[in-house]
Amino acid sequence: MKRYFRDIFQSVWTVLQGMKITGAHLFTRSCTLQYPSVKWELPERSRMRLFNKIEDCIGCGQCVRACPVDCIYMTTERRAKEEPPIFAADGTPIKLRVTQFDIDMSLCCYCNLCTYPCPTHCLVMTPEYEFAVQAKQDFLYRFAKDEPQAPPKPAPSPRPARAR
Amino acid sequence: MQVEAYAGEEMVLNMGPQHPSTHGVLRLELETDGEIVRKVIPHIGYLHRCFEKHAENIDYPGVIPFCDRMDYIASMNNSLGYALAVEKLMGLEVNERVKTLRVLMAELNRVASHLLSIGTYAMDIGSFTPFLHCFREREKVLDLFEWLCGARLLYNYNWVGGVSHDIPEGFEAKTREFVTQFEPVIAELDKLLSYNKIFLERTADVGIISEEQALSHNVTGPNLRGSGIGWDLRKEEPYCGYETYDFEVPVGLGEHGPLGSCWDRYYVRVREMEQSLGLIRQALERLPEGDVHEHIPRRVRPAKSEVYDRTETPRGELGYYLVSDGGLIPFRVKVKSPCFTVLSLLPAIAKGGMVADIIAIIGSIDIVMGEIDR
Repeated sequence: MKRYFRDIFQSVWTVLQGMKITGAHLFTRSCTLQYPSVKWELPERSRMRLFNKIEDCIGCGQCVRACPVDCIYMTTERRAKEEPPIFAADGTPIKLRVTQFDIDMSLCCYCNLCTYPCPTHCLVMTPEYEFAVQAKQDFLYRFAKDEPQAPPKPAPSPRPARAR
Repeated sequence: MQVEAYAGEEMVLNMGPQHPSTHGVLRLELETDGEIVRKVIPHIGYLHRCFEKHAENIDYPGVIPFCDRMDYIASMNNSLGYALAVEKLMGLEVNERVKTLRVLMAELNRVASHLLSIGTYAMDIGSFTPFLHCFREREKVLDLFEWLCGARLLYNYNWVGGVSHDIPEGFEAKTREFVTQFEPVIAELDKLLSYNKIFLERTADVGIISEEQALSHNVTGPNLRGSGIGWDLRKEEPYCGYETYDFEVPVGLGEHGPLGSCWDRYYVRVREMEQSLGLIRQALERLPEGDVHEHIPRRVRPAKSEVYDRTETPRGELGYYLVSDGGLIPFRVKVKSPCFTVLSLLPAIAKGGMVADIIAIIGSIDIVMGEIDR
């Protein structure tokens, strides 16, 4: 009987002690933000949306090999000798024409492994995080601007249909 | 009909897979006799993501993002174990700065992980306030990580032969600030939750893991130390220079109720956070100069060999067994998960208890399903 009342007393007492701490926190500054109207300033290294500055891309394909989920698709073709030489921002000569540089952002796992080996630092992760879209295919970002110059190879002839 | 006709009739109750207090997608099949649990059968595999098979198809550095996703609450510790295993496989030695940074980040993440574990445990038991306090503090650690490497949860920070980023300017001061302001929070948490009578009644006499049980089921980490066995890999098999740091291994003392209860396991975590803060301070003080990218190999191509390496994560011993056939991709990656072994003990310790005690036990063993199912 004595224990019963002691338990009740202790419960109420310890809860009151906890309430005291909670009460004290009532007068501290709030640590939350009213998100859509106010936003946190993200640090410089934030890894959100991928961006490729295609003018500097030399088409080496190291990002494609580094990606663990294979979400970067790249096609290149050799620039002809007669074409005027072009250079990336850091002076690297661009010998390949990047005709396809697609990143499927819905597959990306934001691991940053693709940006590290990039020799011209043209592939970066930007701190932009609000890029929701309505349709899934809108997550396929197409960065390449050049059209393929060489005539496309003829498609392999389809197999003859099986006789029924 | 007689009331006796119902006596002893057992009901099968499915708890989960989408139950708020099973910490992920764990399904428990309970055989209940009224309120008493006669048998517990855990069903796992709802979060299976083929980690090990994945790892056999990508190059060594590419496995690290997947390691992060196993125990997503303590990513730094997970990738650390893998990076150390690959380095051991290659015979690679990293410089002191990398080692110190790894210790610093592992301990910061240990604090964050324990905060989450304590907070959600309090919420399972029914007190909501400590959860908010813990998450407020955890947020500060995550902000530090975001500043450091740009990600808040899945860092991909520990690379083979180094770390991805050196610390930014002002990071040390900010971390010191966090440590200083966090110490009083632990005392506050003690007052708010640890010695709360209702919390004690719910946890102090429940889910007892005896020493023999813990050893026979290969329970590790805070769960083992809660049973009074002071085994910590950071002391027993030091890695990353842990032997040069001064810290204690807190063990359960059975202050309230028998040794090895849910409360003991909970309280070991609280005291481990204090030790982690000490480790963070020491790491910040000694931080040597150096280049963090110095030893990162251009191609990770270990010779044909195999290695088993284990580290102490916030949940216990995490082991990686790597087999290399001399190529660019691992031949086999096997993970020994600490949560899996402790979950195997659940049927034994939950038997004969109440249904509400199951919640208390699952919260106290602190499992992450991502690591169990992989």
